[in-house]
Amino acid sequence: MTITEILANNRGDLETKLRNLLAKPVFIIEMDVFALPCGCKGITINTRGLQYDDLEIFEEYINEYLKTTSENLEIEPSFLFARVVPGTAEIASLNSRVLCNRCYMDFARGTGKRPRPDIYILYFTRRD
Amino acid sequence: MKLYAPHVGHLEGLEELLTGSNDIYGIYMAGTPDYVGTGRTNLSAPGLEEIAEQTEYAHDKGVKMEIVLNSSCMGGQHLTPEGYNRINWYFKQLNNQGIDSITVAEPYFVEMLAKEYDMEVVVSVLSFVDSPQKAEFYENLGADTIVIDPVVNRDFAKLEAIRDAVSTDLKLLVNEGCLYQCPLRYAHFNFFSHANGPGPKLNVLDDYYYYKCLSLRINDPQQLIKSPWIRPEDLGEYRHITDIFKIGGRTHFPNWILNNVQAYANESYDGNLMDLLDCPKDLKDLFYIPNKELDAAISQWKQCTKVCNKCGYCQKLAEKIIKVYSTEGCETILKPLKENGGQ
Repeated sequence: MTITEILANNRGDLETKLRNLLAKPVFIIEMDVFALPCGCKGITINTRGLQYDDLEIFEEYINEYLKTTSENLEIEPSFLFARVVPGTAEIASLNSRVLCNRCYMDFARGTGKRPRPDIYILYFTRRD
Repeated sequence: MKLYAPHVGHLEGLEELLTGSNDIYGIYMAGTPDYVGTGRTNLSAPGLEEIAEQTEYAHDKGVKMEIVLNSSCMGGQHLTPEGYNRINWYFKQLNNQGIDSITVAEPYFVEMLAKEYDMEVVVSVLSFVDSPQKAEFYENLGADTIVIDPVVNRDFAKLEAIRDAVSTDLKLLVNEGCLYQCPLRYAHFNFFSHANGPGPKLNVLDDYYYYKCLSLRINDPQQLIKSPWIRPEDLGEYRHITDIFKIGGRTHFPNWILNNVQAYANESYDGNLMDLLDCPKDLKDLFYIPNKELDAAISQWKQCTKVCNKCGYCQKLAEKIIKVYSTEGCETILKPLKENGGQ
């Protein structure tokens, strides 16, 4: 299977799982794999219709789904987070990112789920 | 019927549109955002020479050319001496290019254009003319044509009152899919006007209004039905108001625009209504609304009192006909709204 076929399948699977979980037609508008110049790499899953309450109530399930999607794409699910439109109920994207050393330090210094107004951490593996 | 079609702004696009259809009465496109912006996203910013070239081409084909400068917020720039001079210079240049009409949302521009220039002055949908009183105001400022706020597209008493109040031409925007009574409308268009205007440019992270707009529909799909679009089949119901109709969609491919032109010129479309709606275009890959199953709805809307919590017609209709695109394995299938948690 090509990488785009794998992406397409995972986009559909995750969307179906979210819809079944939340009982509304949540829309995954785009799923991208990326590599940044700093060394970070991962997936960005742009969502529409997913809201902060959904995340808080169903975090355990959404976390698990995102982990599975990440593993299917051979991206270590070490840092999973949602990007929130700051100050609102809207979730712009779900993300799995393998952090570079520098970006890791930015997140490792903080505690709690909201290190920035636009980030809601679902899962974070601290390094030794 | 006089049908105005959107155009993304480059000559190749215009050639494709005007060789692809003989049903287009007029074309409209944005100008450069350096002087006056527009209330919607643009794919191009044609300069004066390009506008002249395209105007000539359109006229050769017997088609009118309209430039849209419908910023809903100028941030007061036009009220400064420098701003006034800059904008007035641009209007003069546009006038010299031989365009037929110019669409503006700012009342000051309506008066300025009506007093100083020969171009037909069109009051934009972003002037939100939704009453006979507002229509009279713009007529008195010098407007030649008023594009009525789609919020009253299904309020026939209001449409008739506007028609009776003014002698200007009236134009109806047929395929805007904005939320009915959208609370984000003014803020979103003001944001667009700055983002697509002379600056200063903002470093925006997210278009909150657009996300919210989509989210409101996904969480409550009956909003798709309540949006005041006009189906191609229902144009006849509006003939006593006007015979001038405008198709929205300046960020779409010519193929999409031509599909719309054909649907509205033929007054018929057998397919997904979402194909025709200008916005929110992302949702056409999520929802399927069989247009032909909406045949009788206009009868209800013609007598609609707009008290949704007592009526429930649009909600029932949404539950009955809307389907959701879903994926099963590698295939895309259509599922009823209810299976996907709709209402």
